[in-house]
Amino acid sequence: MTLPRFSIKVTLFHLLRRLPMPVIGILIGLIAGLAVWIVLDQVQSKAIERIFGRELSMRLDLRARESLIRFDQYMTNYAATTRLLANHRRLAQYLEPLFWFPGEIVDPVVYAGFRPFWLPDVFGRNALLAPSHVLLVDSRGLVREVYQAGDARLPEELTGNLNQWLGGLDEVRSVLARFDDQPYLVVSDRVEDASGYTMGSLVVLVAVDAAFLAASEGSFSADRSAVALIDADEQRILASNEPQQLIPGTLLSEWSDEYLVTSQSLPAYEGSNWNMLFATFIPQRIVTKMSDKVIDFERNQRLIAALVFIAVFSLVIYLVSARLNKVLKRMTRFSQRALGIEQPGFRGGGNQLVLLEEWMQHFTSLVLRAREEMRRKHEHEMRETEALKAAIMEASLDAIVTLNRAGAVIDYNPTAERMLGFDRQAIIGLDFVGTFVAPNDRAHFIGLLRESSRRGPLGERPHARTELRAVRDDAQLFPIEVSIVPIALEEEPVYTLYIHDITKRKEAEREIKGLARFASESPSPILRVNGAARIVYANAASQPLIRAWETEPGGPLPTRWCEQVRAVLEDGETLEHEDDLGSTIYALLFVPIQELGYVNIYARDITAVRRAEQESRQHQAELVHVCRLSTMGEVATGMAHELNQPLAAIVNYANGASRRLKSGQGDSAALVDAMAHISGQAQRAGEIIKRLRALVGKQQPIRSAVDLNLLVREVCSFVEFETAKLELQIEQQLAEEAIPVDVDLVQIEQVLLNLVRNALDALEERSPGERVLLISTRRVEDRALVRVRDNGPGIPPERMSLLFDPFFTTKETGMGMGLPISLTILEDHDGTIRAESEPGLGTVFQVELPVATEALDERARAGTPGLTDARPLMLIEQPRAGGTHG
Amino acid sequence: MNQELTVFVVDDDQAMRGSLHWLIESVGMRVETFDSAHTFLDAYDTGRAGCLLLDVRMPGMSGLELQEYLGRRAIRIPVIIITGHGDVAMAVKAMKAGAVDFIEKPFDDEQLLNSLRKALEYDEQQRALQTRKAEIAARLAELTPREHEVMAMVTDGKSNKEIAAALSVSAKTVEVHRARVMDKTRADSLAELVRMAMIASTPP
Repeated sequence: MTLPRFSIKVTLFHLLRRLPMPVIGILIGLIAGLAVWIVLDQVQSKAIERIFGRELSMRLDLRARESLIRFDQYMTNYAATTRLLANHRRLAQYLEPLFWFPGEIVDPVVYAGFRPFWLPDVFGRNALLAPSHVLLVDSRGLVREVYQAGDARLPEELTGNLNQWLGGLDEVRSVLARFDDQPYLVVSDRVEDASGYTMGSLVVLVAVDAAFLAASEGSFSADRSAVALIDADEQRILASNEPQQLIPGTLLSEWSDEYLVTSQSLPAYEGSNWNMLFATFIPQRIVTKMSDKVIDFERNQRLIAALVFIAVFSLVIYLVSARLNKVLKRMTRFSQRALGIEQPGFRGGGNQLVLLEEWMQHFTSLVLRAREEMRRKHEHEMRETEALKAAIMEASLDAIVTLNRAGAVIDYNPTAERMLGFDRQAIIGLDFVGTFVAPNDRAHFIGLLRESSRRGPLGERPHARTELRAVRDDAQLFPIEVSIVPIALEEEPVYTLYIHDITKRKEAEREIKGLARFASESPSPILRVNGAARIVYANAASQPLIRAWETEPGGPLPTRWCEQVRAVLEDGETLEHEDDLGSTIYALLFVPIQELGYVNIYARDITAVRRAEQESRQHQAELVHVCRLSTMGEVATGMAHELNQPLAAIVNYANGASRRLKSGQGDSAALVDAMAHISGQAQRAGEIIKRLRALVGKQQPIRSAVDLNLLVREVCSFVEFETAKLELQIEQQLAEEAIPVDVDLVQIEQVLLNLVRNALDALEERSPGERVLLISTRRVEDRALVRVRDNGPGIPPERMSLLFDPFFTTKETGMGMGLPISLTILEDHDGTIRAESEPGLGTVFQVELPVATEALDERARAGTPGLTDARPLMLIEQPRAGGTHG
Repeated sequence: MNQELTVFVVDDDQAMRGSLHWLIESVGMRVETFDSAHTFLDAYDTGRAGCLLLDVRMPGMSGLELQEYLGRRAIRIPVIIITGHGDVAMAVKAMKAGAVDFIEKPFDDEQLLNSLRKALEYDEQQRALQTRKAEIAARLAELTPREHEVMAMVTDGKSNKEIAAALSVSAKTVEVHRARVMDKTRADSLAELVRMAMIASTPP
């Protein structure tokens, strides 16, 4: 930077440049402050003087008025006190015995220096100066008694014509009078004695002197103002409250230099003998001092304000410059680091603004240089990028086509050439949609193109990707996958399309889809669940199953199957289960696909199969039951009828015979004949019974060695229907080892069944929760034992002996043959049956059979001595065949 | 008791037949036994008084069927049914079909005989009533139509004058008709005439 010589402007600028900004700030502040102060001092001082003068005269006026009011008030107080005195009790008492004769000439009684009885000290009490004289005057105006406070004589002028000063009848009278050049206050009031007789007047005389005036003004004259009574005609001071300064007798004009004087006329005091004014004196110097004080104060204030202004201004400038310093430093650092340019070169301090300006110029030039450099660099990079892009385009397996905004092809790579079958020259400028997109897909593609350049709420681009069919130059259609990337270039937005030929993939997909249809077309439910047992696939046929599971595709399996799924996945083994859903039963085949973590479930509706099985089982049980019941009933009815016949006949014969004998008409031959009939019929009854026994016993039993436990189990299964109805589970305590018995298994089953049925019948009387039926088997040496215990109501002791008698029954539908038949069967097997019962607690039946000597039969071991063969029915069918009815 | 009254026993069981015959005869009733419903129907003359003792269970025509058959033929012989033990349903059916009683086997002789006596008595009464009815019918058949009218009015409680007014004849004529009715019906009093009219009007 060079300094131009001999130029004031440049020198100034140079100076400016050298001075730091805070210094300039303070200088400007000082100059500005000084100028302002000088102007303001002139203007303001005058203004204040004017205002003050106005204010002062107003206050003086006010002050004077106040003084007068005080003076007047003070006098009024004398009037009030005089009235009090005149009407005082003591005065009235004093006057009571007195009588002043009119016309008599008497010398007044004088009380000099002491207060008479009738004069109490009311003035002192009322903070008033004591009067110089107090007079009692009779009704004609003669002074009768005088109180004299000091040495001063009663003025002659007063006594000479006293009536002039006395008031009327009813009111007190105050008069300012002048006797011997001395002003007095004369107050008079009427006086009565205790009985209300008017005696005359009371006159109070007070000298209006310095003391009086001082007392009237009280402590008010603290500002060294003074008051005075003035003779209006002579303009002379009669009395003042400060007699040392305002000497009585002097003329008013003598004081006009020293004091500001305000004179006011007194309120009219009737009957006064001279003209008086009341004047207020305020010393001139007090006023001047006050005005000077105010101006000084004002000047100080202004000075402080100017100083504060300079300080604040300097501070602001300083802060701004400091900030500028910082900015400069930062810019320096930035230029050094970021732009790599050398420091602009301002050493040390100086005016920051100027520095900034210089630096800006420097910086601008640097930036311009840098930009030029960058542009060159950028161009170089662009060329490189272009080459790289061309290489990518060249090598890409996908066709890459660039379209302009109107959809015309502006660029594309060799793959696109091959794929679409056009050569480069022919394709440029062609409408891509119209040429290469299959007619059906055009609208979709255009929509997608438009969609792709629209930004989402966060500025993101939609993922414009779709599958459609393209047209080759030989008019052949083929599937492609297109991804559209819009590029917002400044001049014009363009679209780059990445096109992938997906002919092969489509074929594969079709193949897979075809395979997948196996599952979806299957009439049986097929599902796939993942490792978390969630259904990931379910074919149409599995809808009912899924509904029954109360889930949905994507939902979880019922919890009972989740564990299965896990297990199957872990083991890798196929499992099959049945799921009974109430209305339907499914066979579920769990097939794990471990590598994918899936389990395929193939379900089969086996409801019909299971129902059929169940129904056939139930039918069988019902059939057996019904057969047994109906045949029992029929046998009972048939037998009853058959036995009834001979019994009725016997009764008839016997009755007929006895009637004949009673009436004596029967001949003996007829009677004998009847007797023969009786015995014949009795025999017939016997025959019937015998036939019945034969029915049970005569059958040649088929013996085989079976496991007693097996028989018990089977019997229990026969009565499942009944036990379920009674809500009861038969408790089986069977011997661990097989107990072989050599028996006709149908007959023994019959016995056991009979016992179990009896027990069940007994248990009907118990409430469902309390029913217990226990069957136990046991081997004791060569005897096999079966015990059937119930907790029914038991058998009363008197019936125990009848238990095994035929036709003894407690059941309404029973015929009492169960136990006798059982007994017969067991006797036939060398076995026994025994009953024990405790009423209220239950009954135990114990069957004992000999243990078989030989081993168990193979058939019995196989475990199906079955009710399915016809034999059990034979027992009950026989009486029907053999029985005669009617 | 009328000697003509007979107890007809129908039972397929020989012993029962014999024993019932023996028992019923012992109180002096006439008994006839039949081994089936058919033999009874063949032998029975509807005019014979008595009662029928029927076993419900019989091969061929059962007791109930026989009862029903008789009912259809308007043969009003009283029927007593013998049932086996517990054949209550059949007994109820029989009673509904008009049996006078049923007896369960084996039975108390006194009960049976009482039942029989009641049945015979009932049959006798019925038959007497029928006879009387036939008699009255025969007498009434002799009346002329005019006499019928008069009789109907008389038994309705109408006075001669009322009848005369109704028939537009003189009271004298009514008197004559009335006398003739009394004469022909052989009624001793007006009360008897009224009774006859009532019997004649009851359904058979």
